[in-house]
Amino acid sequence: MSKNKSSESVKVVVRCRPLNRREESNGPAGSIVKMDIRLGQVILRNPRATASEPQKTFTFDAVYDANSKQRDLYDESVRPLIDSVLAGFNGTIFAYGQTGTGKTYTMMGAWMDPEKRGVIPNAFDHIFTHISRSQSDRQYLVRASYLEIYLEEVRDLLDPNHGNARALELRENPDSGVYVSDLTSCVCKSIKEIEEVMNVGNQARAVGATDMNEHSSRSHALFLITVECSQPGPDGRKHIRVGRLNLVDLAGSERQAKTGVQGERLKEAAKINLSLSALGNVISALADGRSSHVPYRDSKLTRLLQDSLGGNAKTVMVATLGPSPQHYDETLTTLRYANRAKNIQNQPRVNEDPKDALLREFQMEIARLRAQLHHRKWRSKQKKEQVDGEDWEGDGDEETDGEEEKAVEEYVKLEEQRLEREKQDIREDQFMLADEKQRLLGEKERMMGDLRKEQEATEQLTAKYKAMESKLLVGGKNIMDHTNEQQKMLEMKRHEIAEQSSSEREIQQQMLVQDEETVELRETFTSLQQEVEAKTKKLKKYLKLYAKLQCIKAEIQDVNDEHVRSRQELEQTQNELTRELKFK
Amino acid sequence: MASVSSDEWRAICDKFTNAQNLTVVESLNDPDNDPFRSKYKARELLREIYCSLKSFEAGEGEEESGGETGESGESGESGEQLPVEAPVDGQTEEAFSQGFCGDSPAGLRAAKLGAVEYYLGVNHVDTEELSAGQEHLMNSMKLLGRCRVSSENVSLFIHARNQLGILWAGRDETETAQGFLETAESIYQRYMKEDGSPPTDMADYFSTEENQLTHQERTKRFELAYTHTMYYLAQVYKNLGETERAAIYCHSTLQRQLKLNQFSPMEWALNAATLSQYYITKGRYMEGRHCLSAATVISGLAGEVPSEAAAQESETESERREQLRQKRAEIARCWIKYCLNILQDSKKLLEDSIGELDTDRQEEMKRGRRLEEEEEEKERKSAMLFGSEDTFDSIASLEEKVRCLLPMDFTEARAIFLVGQHYVTQAKDYFQMDGYVTDHIEILQDHSSLFRSLAFYEEDLDRRCKMHKRRVDMMEPVCMELNSKYYLMIRRQMMFELAETYNEMMDLKLTLANRQDETESLDSHTIKKFNNLCSASAKYFQMFLDSLCSPEGKQPEHLEEEVLRPALVARFRVARLYSRLICTSPPGQVENLDKSLEHYKYVVDYCDSHPEAVATVETELELSREMVGLLPLKINRIKAKIHANN
Repeated sequence: MSKNKSSESVKVVVRCRPLNRREESNGPAGSIVKMDIRLGQVILRNPRATASEPQKTFTFDAVYDANSKQRDLYDESVRPLIDSVLAGFNGTIFAYGQTGTGKTYTMMGAWMDPEKRGVIPNAFDHIFTHISRSQSDRQYLVRASYLEIYLEEVRDLLDPNHGNARALELRENPDSGVYVSDLTSCVCKSIKEIEEVMNVGNQARAVGATDMNEHSSRSHALFLITVECSQPGPDGRKHIRVGRLNLVDLAGSERQAKTGVQGERLKEAAKINLSLSALGNVISALADGRSSHVPYRDSKLTRLLQDSLGGNAKTVMVATLGPSPQHYDETLTTLRYANRAKNIQNQPRVNEDPKDALLREFQMEIARLRAQLHHRKWRSKQKKEQVDGEDWEGDGDEETDGEEEKAVEEYVKLEEQRLEREKQDIREDQFMLADEKQRLLGEKERMMGDLRKEQEATEQLTAKYKAMESKLLVGGKNIMDHTNEQQKMLEMKRHEIAEQSSSEREIQQQMLVQDEETVELRETFTSLQQEVEAKTKKLKKYLKLYAKLQCIKAEIQDVNDEHVRSRQELEQTQNELTRELKFK
Repeated sequence: MASVSSDEWRAICDKFTNAQNLTVVESLNDPDNDPFRSKYKARELLREIYCSLKSFEAGEGEEESGGETGESGESGESGEQLPVEAPVDGQTEEAFSQGFCGDSPAGLRAAKLGAVEYYLGVNHVDTEELSAGQEHLMNSMKLLGRCRVSSENVSLFIHARNQLGILWAGRDETETAQGFLETAESIYQRYMKEDGSPPTDMADYFSTEENQLTHQERTKRFELAYTHTMYYLAQVYKNLGETERAAIYCHSTLQRQLKLNQFSPMEWALNAATLSQYYITKGRYMEGRHCLSAATVISGLAGEVPSEAAAQESETESERREQLRQKRAEIARCWIKYCLNILQDSKKLLEDSIGELDTDRQEEMKRGRRLEEEEEEKERKSAMLFGSEDTFDSIASLEEKVRCLLPMDFTEARAIFLVGQHYVTQAKDYFQMDGYVTDHIEILQDHSSLFRSLAFYEEDLDRRCKMHKRRVDMMEPVCMELNSKYYLMIRRQMMFELAETYNEMMDLKLTLANRQDETESLDSHTIKKFNNLCSASAKYFQMFLDSLCSPEGKQPEHLEEEVLRPALVARFRVARLYSRLICTSPPGQVENLDKSLEHYKYVVDYCDSHPEAVATVETELELSREMVGLLPLKINRIKAKIHANN
């Protein structure tokens, strides 16, 4: 996580599982995937290609090879996202990859073994640990929903009659954005409860399908966790922040093409649609552009996550790969898709005071109840004061429940004693008329009854209040003991380490780029030098040639001169001869 | 050939029926862990049929004069044909002129064998054994290659090439696929020109006399195969990036569906409406209008929308109501875009450098357009008409309601605007705010743009100002109502548009006031109005800028690419607006100018620290730099004046 950045693109990490025994025995071909963890690079070798064909290299925010630990992936890549959800951002984690590449292991892992727990259990743990350690003036409300999108239909996995329930509709509301109408939402107070919710959903998913593997590879599953946090602000009012975490298990990549699951437009464009009913897809691909309206472009998944993709949320995408040669094509598709996902721009923004916060409703309810309770106590106190004439002042607002209860009990006891005493007095009063006595006694009895009723009502209210309050999680319930403190430190350090290693990677990547530049420069330099040498050589050669030329020119001149001279001589001789002839 | 009535032949026919049944019906029920069970069974049957045919052939070869189709004929005669391995198909010409007649015994034999090869090929492709499938299909083509195209075999000619086209497209060899499909296309066209009688369907080869298909059914199947050829070609061209050709083929596919009555009205209508969107972005409004009119008329064939009362009583009715209303609303939205685009396109042509109507050009274009365009239109139109006899008239009458030529003056523009507005009402009726926020707002934005385009043609400034006021009235309440967490992007768009609209109104008011009394200064009422509009515009720009801030309210140090220009422009505009506010008290003036200076400075500073931003706001930056130099002087002068007065 680099600082001073107001927005971040989607973070894409890639993980490769080890070769399994069957694949190892299949031959010496070995893994087709090589990973450079320091640089965050994946190098893919085509098992069918000739040696001369260059290998394909992809660079990601982080890569995790076969030896990587669950913990590493979580701390480095997921933890910052969960932290931002707790701070009121929206966050989304996508898991993507061919079935059998360890997607489930990465996301779920082995729940029992702390070393092998995947992203989801770690995230649960993270959320609830954070809550229990935060300051006591913060209140939290955690809700979970679980749904799946199968063949473009949204189904609630927490609905008890999941099997025959109708598909849910996506609706939109000016206040709350895109939502699934009538979706079950469970309030969770502990890790146990949220795990239970997930298990119920997973079972529903399995029951609904004839063949689990086939089904799961065609459907997208979304687990939605909403964390609302209320905290008194500097202005004394309570501020509510709502963060939402979307855990998305995308349909298996290898199925996208075959089943026509439209989810993420993963289909390679070259395939021909056979059924005429898909004519619309073809036409809408032609009519792209900003100034036109194309009906039915967005899939349910895209709409549901519209503020997570390119909206105001943080997104981590975990792509899983298989290393065996026979999965080359799928692995390449996965890598290409992951590579494209890097370019989606997201703009995270803290969500302050959204109007729809359920937490506020809860608080209002609690406040009302509290007011009622105070009112009642105050009334009974007043009565007591009237009767006793005793000056018993208590600061109702600051009183804790325990004290108040004690006070009430005391008051009841006193009252009873007083009534008893009065009864006694009355009985002892010899001058009282018998019927008068009877009447007074009855009155006293009735008063006793009233008192008891009042007491019961108070108890009921207290219980209701307790029940409401128990749904809210208050920070700081756990004692901030030494271990806690140390754990926090440890986590911080771990976080720092993770940050450092990712910045290290960034630097490494930069270095690599610079290295390349240097090499390039050096190459140009040497080539320049060579050029100079060559030129000098040529120049020298030319110089030599020039000298030769001059020589030859001089020679020619000489020869010419000679010829001229001999001609002149010959002419002279001729003249002489002619003259001699004339003389004769 | 074994006599058609013989028992052996009957057995073959039964096997074939069985295989077809397995492929089409049974295979749907195959378990997930054995998905091709029925197909494998069908394959066995087809192989048996193939062997029986071969042995018939051998038997007959002795009976008849022998020679021409011995069982070794395949290898013996393949020399005349295209080599098997050449995947490129180019046999249209030979197919019509060479080889023996399709209805000769030899031709029939070849067709039958070819058909079995074809079915085997499809079977292999279906079970994901592409290479084997390809081989069978090529065999089929090779067998047919010996025959002339005739009504007996033309259907097989086309089917085999369709399949090969799909197969090669699946391997990313789009050009190869294109070759096969284009041959299929030309075979069809030539056959229809030269013969045109209802051709034998392949299923007919293996059915007993009493089960032969009717002529009508034959034609239907044959035409459907060709519709598929068109449809596959549309995809091939799309994948090759030839959108224009792809659009032509999509268009013909739609035409054929309608002509052959093989469509579901709503689906067809929606596709036609979508296709119109391709045409309008290419400026081809005549085609766009035709698609839209056809879409509206055909969608009417889907029946009346069930009443609300009926919907409450039965679930199927309620679903049907929902579907019909939604799809009709979608078509209405396509109409809105038609009106909007045509208005905007002509505006682009007619506006001068400062965005006002250029009257000279207007005259010139009006004179120029008449004759030629209408001539050209008729020609283009005949090629792309939709409709059967009963729908033709209603489509034409719907088309007459709106012109497809670019509007040249206010009257023409208004006619188009009104049509657009009509569809806005219709679309909004379904896409209501509650339930369809994004869609509803998109429609509102279009409505606002319609007003904006119309205002361009309006000469009366007062009325023009009122049009902009309508825009504000429809956007303002909605923008305030939206949750900024979920509708950040939409809100930003709306804030910007509101700010610009207020700005426009402010300019208009000023021009109007200046026109009325040029000599006198503005009266206080006008000043107040002007200042209100000015502040409103600044307010929305500021809201937009605030939406970019971090949760703590800090300005971002680095602006993202997609908001870079809007953000800097908004700054610039706010600066401008502050300096335009009319204020009589000198201290107030100084305050406004200080604010103005601050915003100009921001633009300059940001560009200095982020050199990559310079290119996006060149003009604005230049002006800002100047203002940063000049404003302090002005401020000082006013300050000095204040001082002097004191």
